[in-house]
Amino acid sequence: MKSRLQNKISVFNIINTLIMIFVVIITLYPFLYLTSISMSSEKFVYSGDVTFYPRGFTLRTYKVLLKDTSFWISYKNTIMYTVLGTIISLTLTVLLAYPLSKRDLKGRGVFLGIILFTMFFSGGLIPTYLLVTRMLRMRNTIWAVVIPGALSTFNVLITRTFFEGLPDELEEAAAIDGMNTYGILLKIVLPLSKPILATMGLFYAVGMWNNWFGPFIYLDTKSLFPVSLYLRNIIAGAQSTREVTGGDVEGFGDIEATIKSASMIVSALPIIMVYPFIQKYFVKGVMIGSLKG
Amino acid sequence: MKKRTLLFVSCVLMISLLGVVITGCGGTKTTGESVVNGDENDTNEKPDTTPSNNEADLAEDDSVFPPAEPVTFTMLYRDHPGYPYNEDWIVWEEIEKRANVTLDVIVVPMSDYGEKRNLLISSGEAPEIIPSTYPGEESAYIPAGAVIPVSDYVDLMPNFLEKVEAWDIEENLRNIRQKDGKYYVLPGLREIVVGEYSLAIRTDIFEEHNVSIPDSYDDLYDALKQLKEIDPDGYPFSDRWEGNSLLSQAATNFDVQAGWGAGNGMRYNEENDEFCFYPIVDDYKDFLAYFNKLIKEGLMDPESFTQEDETAVNQKFAMGKGYVISTNTQEVISMRNKMNETLGEGNFQVDIIPPLAGPKGRIASSNKLDNGIIISSNALNNPNFEVLMKFVDWLWYSEEGQILTKWGVEGVTYTKEGDEYKVLPGLKFTSLGINAEDEEAKDLRDDFGMNNGVFVFSMYNGHKELMYSYMTEEARNLTQAVNELSTFRNPDPPVLMDEAQREEHTMISQALMDYVNQMTLQFIVGEADLETDWDGFVNECKTKGADTLIQMTNDIYDETK
Repeated sequence: MKSRLQNKISVFNIINTLIMIFVVIITLYPFLYLTSISMSSEKFVYSGDVTFYPRGFTLRTYKVLLKDTSFWISYKNTIMYTVLGTIISLTLTVLLAYPLSKRDLKGRGVFLGIILFTMFFSGGLIPTYLLVTRMLRMRNTIWAVVIPGALSTFNVLITRTFFEGLPDELEEAAAIDGMNTYGILLKIVLPLSKPILATMGLFYAVGMWNNWFGPFIYLDTKSLFPVSLYLRNIIAGAQSTREVTGGDVEGFGDIEATIKSASMIVSALPIIMVYPFIQKYFVKGVMIGSLKG
Repeated sequence: MKKRTLLFVSCVLMISLLGVVITGCGGTKTTGESVVNGDENDTNEKPDTTPSNNEADLAEDDSVFPPAEPVTFTMLYRDHPGYPYNEDWIVWEEIEKRANVTLDVIVVPMSDYGEKRNLLISSGEAPEIIPSTYPGEESAYIPAGAVIPVSDYVDLMPNFLEKVEAWDIEENLRNIRQKDGKYYVLPGLREIVVGEYSLAIRTDIFEEHNVSIPDSYDDLYDALKQLKEIDPDGYPFSDRWEGNSLLSQAATNFDVQAGWGAGNGMRYNEENDEFCFYPIVDDYKDFLAYFNKLIKEGLMDPESFTQEDETAVNQKFAMGKGYVISTNTQEVISMRNKMNETLGEGNFQVDIIPPLAGPKGRIASSNKLDNGIIISSNALNNPNFEVLMKFVDWLWYSEEGQILTKWGVEGVTYTKEGDEYKVLPGLKFTSLGINAEDEEAKDLRDDFGMNNGVFVFSMYNGHKELMYSYMTEEARNLTQAVNELSTFRNPDPPVLMDEAQREEHTMISQALMDYVNQMTLQFIVGEADLETDWDGFVNECKTKGADTLIQMTNDIYDETK
């Protein structure tokens, strides 16, 4: 079977490969472009000569970036938020999805209804803000970043569907042998659910890494800012004022294109590097048939 | 069974919906309260608490500035990516030392400053002092009473008042007043009008080919004609900013408006004391005819009005294609830097020329206001409110405060030689182009916190000397030229609309001005003909509501003046 597939060069394979190579190229090009800009000297960047490889190679930009403490503080914060946020989100998701996967749970429909409701309606920006700042008193703390929105309805539903697919007999056997519910969850269900945990973990981690809005509205102190705020400020900050003042009043030449590219590369790299390690779980296709709930 | 669950689910949905409605109400209730508070403060006739009448008895206690006991005020801080916020800046320390005031800042990235300001103000969580707000942006916060009418409290601000009077700024302030006759934003004040935008020319080419430097738009036409002969296939003039700066500058000298300054189509006519719709007057036709002539004769690049800045500057002007381009005093420097790379140092000379005169003379707007500060109504709850107003006056409007935020501390960051401010040796001030090449030196802005937009508005404000101290020689010359050569046109008197009127007005004027702007370009590049299509254009403007707009504007103006 395997060898037959390998030896066969069909028209489909050729076309498929070509299309895939094309897709790979358009996906990789932005990264390549940013990398070459970040390593080129400004002269070539201004004249638009940089395309596939750096012109006038220099690492000056990275040296400047290394010295920028506010970037690294933000970077540290992002890592912290991502790790903590992912742990919290995963725990909550599992704890909610597991009971919901049990068909004999009383009031299951009610819980599902409530959960589904939040998928379509939200309290609106200002009530949410007031809830977090006035009632929960989380403004300007790490909790404001990791707690609101820790649970994604969509992810809960996918996880629940996955749990439903596990054979009941396994759990019944464990119960007969005297294991309680938590034991079953920890020792039987979770070890069998590595694919879904890895996937959800990745979803949450990427979401948290890129999270901009939450930190933007809840954080007031610079030392708590994640790197997404830093990046957006250097990329969009200059443009937004330009619209208001109609020109270049405050010296926007301050941030060079090369610096922007370098910081984008440095901050995107870690989260990209997570993918290869959990890629093998994706092959199993968690999403197939997952949304029938 | 299935039916029952369904029923259950719908019940739950209903309940949660109710919950949302209730919490929703709760939300509005809180804002409602703050509205009431604001109103109360307003209707309570603030003058009672303003110091005007009780200054005498308050002079000894809480309202003294600097206060005897240290106080803390909250402030929104716009974090500019070019000089990231740093709590160790000397400027914070000096403010504490001199004013006995600690600023507790909420740092907001500049990219989304406005959004966070909206959120904080509408949720009632706004800090007391909110700088970096452009006149006009405050109007959204007024109906809910979220910002205070600062004009009621300027008695607390001697420095502000003194400057308004000495520099003749009352006229300008009229324009930021709201329908109730009060203003809600404290703008930055300038002693003289700043010249920032004009044309840059390739002086070397002009000299080489014996072309005299233009003084009027007619001269510019002649000069471009001569320059066209150098390269008959190219365009001597290819503009940037989609022509917006050029049109805006030129239009005032034809007694109309366009480009960045197009506004809502209304223009005040002093003789008749009424507003007209300027795009349909003959002066506007003359204005269009002039630029149409430049395009028709191949003197100006038709792409001027559509191309990206990058194309106009990097790929055309900086590459030696074209000899005239719009610029400002900052951009001209960055253009030279680019040209040092592309054409080579010494192979070119680029200069800003003073603004050109048009058929109606050389007219400049007499605007002396800058962006400004709003004070949230939360400040009224602060027992030290009067100190707060005095502090704002001191830091943003007093000589001492302005020197501190612009130049820092004498002997630490700068020294003064005669009238001139000099950066101490070993330091640099990159944003002003002083000692910028020194990689090791500490920067007055990045490392000390001077020239921070939060404190210095948009750089040029305050006394003439202070304004000049921040300009390059070139910028100084341009500003001097503008002030010496120009006739100043007073800003149009304000048309004080209430919210409903403003909405209706905008609805008409927006669609109308879209059409005007589109036709303006068509007339200029020649897609529409000024002879045959002009009447159609005028009629179309009228069908789109130009007359209604005139009527409405004049009615409101007469009512409220």
